[in-house]
Amino acid sequence: MDFSYSNAELAFRDELREWLSDALPPGWGESVFEPDDEDARARFRLEWERKLFNGGWNGINWPKKYGGRGATLVEQAIFAEEMAHARAPDGLNIIGRNLAGTTLLRHGTEAQRERFLPKILSGEEVWCQGFSEPNAGSDLASVRCQAVRDGDAFVVNGQKIWTSFAQYAQWCILLVRTDPSLPKHKGISFLLVEMKSPGISIRPLKQISGESEFNETFFDNVRVPVENLVGELNGGWRIAMTTLAYERGPEDSLGRQIRFKQELDRLLMTVSGLRRGKGLAIDEPVIRDKLARSIAEIEIMRLSCLRSFSQTIRGKALGAEASMSKLYWSHIAQNFYDTALESLGPLAAVGRGDALSPADGHFQLSFLNSRAFTIYSGTSEIQRNIIAERVLGLPK
Amino acid sequence: MNFDFSEEQYSFRDSLRGFLADHLDSPTRASDPIDDSQHLWAGLADLGILAILVPERYDGLGLTFVDTSLVLEELGRHLASPAIIDTMVATDAIVRYGSAELKAALLPRIAKGQARIAIAVHEAAAGCELRDMSTASSRQADRLKLRGDKILVCDATSADFLLIVEGATEAGGPQLVLVDRNSAGVELRKQTTLDLTADYYQIALREVPLEDAFLIRTGSAGSSAAKRLLDASALAAAAQMTGIGGSVLDKAVEYVKQRVQFGRPIGSFQAIKHRCADMAVAVDSSRSAVYYAAWALANEAPECPKAVSIAKSYSGDMSRFVCSEGIQLHGGMGFTWALGLHLYLRRAKLLESSYGDSTYHRERVLAETLAELSAARR
Repeated sequence: MDFSYSNAELAFRDELREWLSDALPPGWGESVFEPDDEDARARFRLEWERKLFNGGWNGINWPKKYGGRGATLVEQAIFAEEMAHARAPDGLNIIGRNLAGTTLLRHGTEAQRERFLPKILSGEEVWCQGFSEPNAGSDLASVRCQAVRDGDAFVVNGQKIWTSFAQYAQWCILLVRTDPSLPKHKGISFLLVEMKSPGISIRPLKQISGESEFNETFFDNVRVPVENLVGELNGGWRIAMTTLAYERGPEDSLGRQIRFKQELDRLLMTVSGLRRGKGLAIDEPVIRDKLARSIAEIEIMRLSCLRSFSQTIRGKALGAEASMSKLYWSHIAQNFYDTALESLGPLAAVGRGDALSPADGHFQLSFLNSRAFTIYSGTSEIQRNIIAERVLGLPK
Repeated sequence: MNFDFSEEQYSFRDSLRGFLADHLDSPTRASDPIDDSQHLWAGLADLGILAILVPERYDGLGLTFVDTSLVLEELGRHLASPAIIDTMVATDAIVRYGSAELKAALLPRIAKGQARIAIAVHEAAAGCELRDMSTASSRQADRLKLRGDKILVCDATSADFLLIVEGATEAGGPQLVLVDRNSAGVELRKQTTLDLTADYYQIALREVPLEDAFLIRTGSAGSSAAKRLLDASALAAAAQMTGIGGSVLDKAVEYVKQRVQFGRPIGSFQAIKHRCADMAVAVDSSRSAVYYAAWALANEAPECPKAVSIAKSYSGDMSRFVCSEGIQLHGGMGFTWALGLHLYLRRAKLLESSYGDSTYHRERVLAETLAELSAARR
């Protein structure tokens, strides 16, 4: 066990630190934050993503030939630490980087990698994820959206739901049924679909916060060139499992941990300045206890990610344990936002736009959005089934 | 950066696991729960457990708290006597802060399992704050004498020495005082406690004469020695609770796989699976916290107090949750005396309230974090 860094790793850290101090606006994370308006925020995040790319800091773990810098897991941990320290924002193309790109790196052809990967990192092509359907949520393998081969293309018909960022996306990773006669896990394929293809229509879904980050996406005789099939025909389920393991695993969690840590610091600063009775909100013992619980739980999230990294470096393959990571962070993060609102006391319900609202309603919005944590990328119930059956070995 | 243990560290743990399973995991443990025999101590000494923190020049292994963390977890897992752990924690204090004379006299004996040291921290009317403790020494006729009362001192009658934490007074202190258990003025009274797997004593200290060589520094160094002892003991408790959680989880998973109701193993029901999954996540998270705190303690990292408090508060909540769930999953059997699951709950409860409970440690986490934030903004 050793938390020190090699000279090369220290040089990496210093280079990143220097870049970040120039790239972020003055007062960032103290008085200047990213916009709370969703479209403005999306534009802001895309700009930041491009800035990261131009500086050579986007998708650092990807091979150099696709625009990354071939960073090691230790360098990724350093990157996370520095981004947290600088309270740096996240980019917009999370699905492109974390899901589409990672899946192509593992299962794509060389031609697909060369075509798609560089533009993911440069922010030229933003991606969305077409997995869930109205009747295929937790039971994802029952997807019905159909693709039928017609000459040099698949013709796609059906509907997807909860497609986050579809309105900003140029491309979509899509799970489709290519053989309804086979058992349900065995008739699924994984396609890459261009969002401007004729026949795709998007209907925004207004979500709990009033925002519309996600959408319903409809496919009406959409033609997808056969070269955009990933892996083998009817071999899509296994590929989707790669995507999901990554979505639930420690690398994704460490990125989230950075954001939760930033939110935590922002909350502590907010509550430290809030008057309550004759003193300050931060002096209330019950609030202190709950804030401390979140501090501990968010720190443990970081530590567990680093432990997983070290186990991966030692050669242990990441499998169903990814679900433990996701189950842990989704619940502790919801607890954190519960505490955030509770610590605002009588102002907990005073939202954005009201002069009295602490942090201009930021925490209310985050609180509402945090309700999705235990639902998306596999509900907690599904994660618990996976952990029980595949980590603990309980019978089906 | 490497946040994992080496093959050697894991195999050291495995040999300890084998030894403890042979000696402590009997089906009749519940009817005969205590083993602090010379045999057990000698076996642990043979394995090198008691020598881990002793420097090589004193016939030890010269290792650190990182090397103890899997060991402490394993000792907790098998409900070994906390007196073993007390001796290890006391070793750290002597190595870091003891006089040369004290080191030479005691460390080689500790490494061989020939000197047991019981740690006396708690008082009936004090929590974990040094300033609240009233045990104190004063100079009488040119001789320092100690007065006070300590509670919950593990296996004190079989200890050779008592390592006593003094309160912080205006006159000085706090400091650590090592006292021969057979000194005049030391009176032991066996206490009734929740934990059936070890004996605990109240110690009355009535003008106990102190040897200068046995004082572990005074003034500010004494303060850091006392604070480090509390942190090390809190970490050790957290590691033991993590071991307890791991053991109860394993027992519960094993049980629900073989227990059949409604014609199928109850472990096939989601209501049962989901509880097991939550337990597994809690135990694993506790490990992350404990291992990091052990590293911080070993390296005297600036974040050590916070890391220890995160580990102690999280593992306390975890072990309470996991032990209760473990009993629930065993149904009526879990509630019986004979199965012995209650032994884990009992020990965990004692550890949870020792060396600062979760609430105490969370307050310390918050205070440390606010101090970090204001330092960063300055």
